[in-house]
Amino acid sequence: MAFVKRYLIPRLIQYFLVIWLGITVVFLIPRLTPNDPIMRVIGELRGRGSTLEPGAMDGIIRDLTQLYGLEGSWLDQYWAFWGRLFRGDLGVSFFQFPARVNQLIAVAMPWTLGLLLTTTAISWIVGNIIGGLAGYYSRKSWSRILDAIAMVVRPLPYYIFAFALLLLFAYVVRWFPITGGASLGAVPTFTWAYIKDVLWHSFLPALSLCVLGGAVTFQTMKLIVQNVNAENFVQYAKMGGVTEDRIVGKYVIRNAVLPQITGLALSIGQIFSGALITEIVYGYPGLGMLLYRAIVNGDYNLIMGITLFSIIAITTAILIVDLTYPLFDPRVRYK
Amino acid sequence: MEIQTETILRTENLKAFYVLDMHGTQKIVKAVNEVDLAIKENEIYGIAGESGCGKTTLLKALFNVIEPPLRLIGGKIYYRVNWEEVEVTSLSPEEKRRLRLEYISYIPQGSMSVLNPVLKIKESYQDFIASHVPEQSRKETMELAQKQIVELGLPKNILNAYPHQLSGGMRQRVTIALSALLSPRIMIGDEPTTALDVVVQRGVIQMLKEIQRKLQNTIILVTHDMGVHANVAHRIGIMYAGKIVEEGTTIQIFDNPLHPYTQFLINSLPKFGDKMMRESVPGSPPSLADLPRGCPFHPRCPYTKDICRESMPGFSYPDEKHRVACWLIGEGEHGKAS
Repeated sequence: MAFVKRYLIPRLIQYFLVIWLGITVVFLIPRLTPNDPIMRVIGELRGRGSTLEPGAMDGIIRDLTQLYGLEGSWLDQYWAFWGRLFRGDLGVSFFQFPARVNQLIAVAMPWTLGLLLTTTAISWIVGNIIGGLAGYYSRKSWSRILDAIAMVVRPLPYYIFAFALLLLFAYVVRWFPITGGASLGAVPTFTWAYIKDVLWHSFLPALSLCVLGGAVTFQTMKLIVQNVNAENFVQYAKMGGVTEDRIVGKYVIRNAVLPQITGLALSIGQIFSGALITEIVYGYPGLGMLLYRAIVNGDYNLIMGITLFSIIAITTAILIVDLTYPLFDPRVRYK
Repeated sequence: MEIQTETILRTENLKAFYVLDMHGTQKIVKAVNEVDLAIKENEIYGIAGESGCGKTTLLKALFNVIEPPLRLIGGKIYYRVNWEEVEVTSLSPEEKRRLRLEYISYIPQGSMSVLNPVLKIKESYQDFIASHVPEQSRKETMELAQKQIVELGLPKNILNAYPHQLSGGMRQRVTIALSALLSPRIMIGDEPTTALDVVVQRGVIQMLKEIQRKLQNTIILVTHDMGVHANVAHRIGIMYAGKIVEEGTTIQIFDNPLHPYTQFLINSLPKFGDKMMRESVPGSPPSLADLPRGCPFHPRCPYTKDICRESMPGFSYPDEKHRVACWLIGEGEHGKAS
């Protein structure tokens, strides 16, 4: 089939090339920073007041180098890294030694995915529906009021907005907990009590993400709809007396949502690197915090592990959009 | 060519202005200013004039889509629906919507992409049909559409195509077919031949004529192309600065143009065997937001008299069906000025 040969295969090659390139860059960058994980551990040991004999020190350095997989030249490390990666092993965390990176990610991932998938979906759907209607009825007063609200909310720096919510609803009126993903000591089970506890803890972070994310989606959708609304085919449908529900649904929204689909795929791809500021403000145990600590501590393996997911998620999301776009827009054809 | 004299669309002293609010100062664009028209059944009425003289705005008003910033300042628009005259500007939005396509339909400019790019032509047709035809007869109407498309010389499988797969001329003809689908009594064309090459133009004009002959309805055709008017129109109204300045049968307008502006328009047309230099109207049309006093044409008119600078002439009737608003022809009937 011409499509497979002329589009799909080159596109897949490009896909893997991007992933390979991304991983290689992430492999190199931490090694170029002055952050030496081994000297860091030694420093910590010293800081605790333990004195080491010079011989013992060399021994520790050698052992750590071996354990961390930092033996030999960068090229040797690189080969060893790919070997491990194909076995699905991301190595040990330097910082939380001897925990394995796989394990750490497996613990943090559900928190991040649970929070961000939900908020991304909610803010995309709600933002688009309200933005679409506000764009179509842009002369109505409720549309102007919504627009004014979005205009105020959207430029707020996220950390200030998140912190204000926290202060107001967790400190001034104590409706929500001040930190954490679940109550201390709560055992993860599939009971209503535990689920309720998690939802209660995630409410404020989710609210902050939904409001700001929703405001952005609202504004872009409103603008796109206003533009589409002025298009000749919409005007012509009105001139032809097509009923308003059809014009809104099949003419305006249907065309305006096309660029928004691309935007959704990109933001889903970005989920996998976590939401750092949300997690810091709300003490939420997700991937963003984990990545932040990994970078600060020069934890090569953990950085690699998290960014690996992120790279794969973003490239895959774009691939899926590219491949499914003709379903949404008949003008796109692959030759 | 026998023309019935029954009036189907009539305006009385129609005034439609754009009211623009520009940083606190109001700007009024007098796009349609005191227009009286009486368009008859079974005729093709042409409206001619330069760009920016209010032709398209007049069409919008005739089509009864007056949306801000365009405002109906005064006057009335009547359609004769089922032998009864209806004042249409006061109808409810739903009544206005029902009239469109069923009673009066709109043919857009050729260069415009007026079909939804993500829908097949068939789906667009279905939307238009479903908005006007009761559920039980929709299928029938769709079959009718198919038949009509073949009759009008378009390929049958065109309905299964997307708009971007058709050529510009093809798209324009599909749009015209769609406008004619529900046998409207009036069809309004806004530069339907503009931006098409001459061969396609000819096809489009023939198609319009054919539809008109079949439906025996009224076509109001706006174009600045006097050649097209000479070809299709039965009567022509010449528009200048938001006013009709001369109106007559096509023969009267072309053989005996009385208004200096009309004379310029006619003389700028090429003729076979005539090697004289073509002269165009000197200067450019006035801004509709800042019209000159008196006759709006006087700054460009080679025969300006003192009175032209003072007041606008009324209509004189030099011949049956022929009226002209110019001080050179006569004082006209005041108060009934266009």
